[in-house]
Amino acid sequence: MEPIVRTRDLRKVFRRPQRRPGVAGALRALFSPAFAETVAVSDVSMEIAAGELIGYLGPNGAGKSTTIKMLTGILVPTSGVVEVAGLIPWRRRTENARNIGVVFGQRSQLYWDLPLRESFELLRAIYDIPRARYRVNLDEFIDILEMGEFLDTPVRQLSLGQRMRGDFAAALLHDPRVVYLDEPTIGLDVVAKEAIREFILRINQQRGTTVLLTTHDLADVERLCRRIVIIDRGRLLYDGTIEDLKDAYGRTRRLVVEFAEPQDHVVVEGATLEHTDRCTARFAFDRGAISADRLITALVARYAVRDVAIEEPDLEGIIRRIYLEGISPSEVLRP
Amino acid sequence: MQAWRIRLLTMLEYKANFIMWFAFTIAYHGVAIAALGATLYNFPSLAGWNFRQIAFLYALWMLGHSTHNLLFFSIGEVPVYVQEGTFDRFLVRPRDVLFQIVSVPNQQWPDELALALVWFVFATWYAHVRIDAVFLVAVPLVVAGGVLIDLAISLATATIAFWFVRVDTLRWVVMSLEQEFTRYPVSIYTRGVRILLAYVLPYAFMNYFPAVYFLHKSDQGLAIVPWLGLLAPAVGAVWFAAAYSFWRLGLNRYQGTGS
Repeated sequence: MEPIVRTRDLRKVFRRPQRRPGVAGALRALFSPAFAETVAVSDVSMEIAAGELIGYLGPNGAGKSTTIKMLTGILVPTSGVVEVAGLIPWRRRTENARNIGVVFGQRSQLYWDLPLRESFELLRAIYDIPRARYRVNLDEFIDILEMGEFLDTPVRQLSLGQRMRGDFAAALLHDPRVVYLDEPTIGLDVVAKEAIREFILRINQQRGTTVLLTTHDLADVERLCRRIVIIDRGRLLYDGTIEDLKDAYGRTRRLVVEFAEPQDHVVVEGATLEHTDRCTARFAFDRGAISADRLITALVARYAVRDVAIEEPDLEGIIRRIYLEGISPSEVLRP
Repeated sequence: MQAWRIRLLTMLEYKANFIMWFAFTIAYHGVAIAALGATLYNFPSLAGWNFRQIAFLYALWMLGHSTHNLLFFSIGEVPVYVQEGTFDRFLVRPRDVLFQIVSVPNQQWPDELALALVWFVFATWYAHVRIDAVFLVAVPLVVAGGVLIDLAISLATATIAFWFVRVDTLRWVVMSLEQEFTRYPVSIYTRGVRILLAYVLPYAFMNYFPAVYFLHKSDQGLAIVPWLGLLAPAVGAVWFAAAYSFWRLGLNRYQGTGS
């Protein structure tokens, strides 16, 4: 299947005036400005098939927003190829705008002083949405996002969760084929987050809308995405499924044991003791080398055990290691 | 059309704000005209212009300026959009960016324009301007030219924000220049200032040159044909075209740097 979003060797370099410390430095910069080049996005190649829901991850300043700005046509790439639904976004900005929807979690695109309903009306005019289609979409969004009770309240009086739901509807009214969601759950409470996740899943599954989601909340990713793309310092570190990432990076499981009586020396073959306080102990073991079942059997044979628990490697821990160590999991994945 | 409806709704959202603005507008122009009256009380004529004629000069500027404010005030907000990062939203929508900015709902009421119309009618009578077919055709054209001149200058000023994010000072300077130099006949200034007002920031085409024509004054200073003021729409069009090219250049820069 033809990918709907395609980038090849996409690169963005910013040339920014370099700041020098202090007043003297600022004055010097005024007369002889020095420039520093920052590579925000470096040789990013990826393809997204129509209907996919992809998590785009990376620490702050990794280049996520710059990538999205190139995909939406806001920024012109320094070099490389970018194509969305067959168009080069920055060259055909307005045509591309009809194909895409954008939600910036930190910046609302609704009109501050107007009721939601009026913001939607204005968007209908901007996008030339046929009236019948507009009505169908709006009714559906009002229904599933439960916007009925605050549709006529000025946006400035809405809670963050209500405003976010409004922003989602605003970004989707014109039936975009691709939506970019930039930290859409930021600052939301658990209930509001769940409502937003449900909605994302729904438009992806029922309308076949392609979704590119950036977030720092890995619960969003685990709940919604099969495939994730990780970027750091402008470079692509990983592109694949969450399971593969866990397999490659999360081979180490942990076994937490609670003893019936205090133990001074605990030893079990096939596992390394990480921590003990005589009443409990935590072992790390490679799940490829030994099964949890065998490990527990060996333990119970030697000690009186009250309780055991197995800790699976979590995505957060894996991602944290990738960010901190900066190693490409793709290298790890390669046999 | 939709944009106008929305704008009306936005304005109605803050009725108290409107009342305060209206009071301020009246006070502002009242003080300006009173100051002119006081000056002319001490010097019965400025470069051959009496108070009645200067009142007409002011009215002509006010018409163009208030129409510009009513239609294009949000252009002045561009630096704020760039600074806050809200400018991006215009780029992800399928319309011309400038058109979108102009249609952003704002708090500009037609109160200043209404006031300008009232004052213009009064000043025309007060200055004994002959009302004939030429006058009736020329005034709207001259006002349109004035709007374009104002628009060109505010657009060019706003565009500078793509290079230097904070341009408040520059905006302030340009606004003060406009207020200062549209009140008096240009002929009272030195040659350098006159050339500036005629050809660099062509405020003289908003009111002075047209007033020279309507009032049958003569302008020895710039040695020009009496009907020069009727070229206001052409001057406005040329300046707007130049400002718009500059704007396109700024927009390209923004899309290159995203600053």
